[in-house]
Amino acid sequence: MYKAVILILTFLSACSSGPPADLQYIKQARSIAAEWALINNQAKADNLTSTYVVSMHQSLRENLQTAFDSLSDKHSSYGEQMNALLAERADAAPAELRARAEALKRIEDDLESA
Amino acid sequence: MNPLELTLGIMTAVGGFVDISELVFAAKAGSQFGYALIWVFALSTIGIIVFSEMSGRVAAVAKQPVFNLMRHRLGLKLGLVTLAASIVSNLITCAAEIGGVSLILNYLTGAPYALMAVAMTAILVISIWVLPFQWIERVYGLLGLFMIVFAAALVAIHPPWSQIAGGFVPQVPAGLSTKELLTFAYFAVAIISAVMFPYEVYFYSSGGIEEGWGPKDMLTNRLTSILGMALGSLLAISILANSAQLFGPVNVDPEIPGSAALEAAIPFGKWGLILALLGMLFAVAGAAVETCMANAYSIAQFFGWVWGRHKKPWEAPRFTIAWLILFMLALAIVLTGVDVMMLVEFAVLFSILVLPLTYLPLLLLAEDKKYMRQYANGPVAKTLGWIYFAIITAAAIAAVPLFMLTSGGNG
Repeated sequence: MYKAVILILTFLSACSSGPPADLQYIKQARSIAAEWALINNQAKADNLTSTYVVSMHQSLRENLQTAFDSLSDKHSSYGEQMNALLAERADAAPAELRARAEALKRIEDDLESA
Repeated sequence: MNPLELTLGIMTAVGGFVDISELVFAAKAGSQFGYALIWVFALSTIGIIVFSEMSGRVAAVAKQPVFNLMRHRLGLKLGLVTLAASIVSNLITCAAEIGGVSLILNYLTGAPYALMAVAMTAILVISIWVLPFQWIERVYGLLGLFMIVFAAALVAIHPPWSQIAGGFVPQVPAGLSTKELLTFAYFAVAIISAVMFPYEVYFYSSGGIEEGWGPKDMLTNRLTSILGMALGSLLAISILANSAQLFGPVNVDPEIPGSAALEAAIPFGKWGLILALLGMLFAVAGAAVETCMANAYSIAQFFGWVWGRHKKPWEAPRFTIAWLILFMLALAIVLTGVDVMMLVEFAVLFSILVLPLTYLPLLLLAEDKKYMRQYANGPVAKTLGWIYFAIITAAAIAAVPLFMLTSGGNG
């Protein structure tokens, strides 16, 4: 019985694609954009070491790239937002990064309420 | 009672309690659900106190480490299955800790992650080889106390204390969608697993035997369990509450272990950041030592080998080879390049599955008057023990479906 439930769940999760399947990556990208903005904001206030900032930028960018690569629809509105985020400079303005996070959050909310 | 003996509890709490999984899940839980999961930390903390105290008492009175009990109580076949599952679970956890330490070193120094993994594993191996058991616990345990900066940060950001206090009351937030409810349940299960990791009990009880505990040490055991675990729990709750206050409102769900350090940087600047990273470094390194040693203790105790760090490495050769190989295996996992967060997810998942099998023999022996005489479980310990056994069994059954339904808590 237990094994059967696991098999069904695996099957269902493997079947889903498109925006519902991409939702977790959209959430991830939204969080990365928001965290990136927070780091740049704190870096501007001289609250962080430059080594930490560089390492965090690298980790966040790697995670964002992985999330983007995992999308089933890269040419969607959220795919474009994530692609634009990937093109941002490491020291991008916090306000710009926050705007990207908010745009992704709106898409995420729309998908969740659909 | 020697106050220094309390450090065993402090190390178990700070090095084992606040490990990489605690860091990750406390920060994520706070950002996603505010203070609503604090009660799960409190509940699990009482659980780990109950089982640690029990394992320390059994070690002191019956002189029996957990895996020796397991073999006798579960029989060879089921005992072997439990041992194998436990080795896998501890190995993944150890790899997650080494990966976490390497990332933290990368945040501190900028040196490459893989190089840091190799260097840190070498340092951990040398420290276990060179230092006597008591000094291993003191080095990692006391330096891990830099993590107190998270509690200081919480005070500094003036959080809504009444809401934090309200978080200790068992609750499920109102108005959650089905998906959010499942994610909340997954986080609850993950926190129970992360707080009650089985390696903490293996290490704690084996440490008690290493230090030659006897019935006279019963008070020390009780105090170290309660104070040590409570301190660890307060630090974890501070990380959660900081995250609820600083990350949640700006839509950050901390995705990497380094995010937690921001919580101390925001109120205290660079020094807050450095103290937080150093605290995380030593606490997670302590947990790496504990997981690896717990695995070696388990194997040696199960097969009846000579074991212990109170002996010279060559006086317990199979035990020594076991912990060396386990460190190398954990390092090999890290060097494959697997994501640390994925290791953390799997460590938590595997551990909760092993937990009931770990605690059942301990519970049975602790209430057996033939072995434990007047130190057998009283009505309170017995009742709490069985309540927590039911909780971890329910969590173990729910863990895999919840993991799959929520994509590991990612919605």
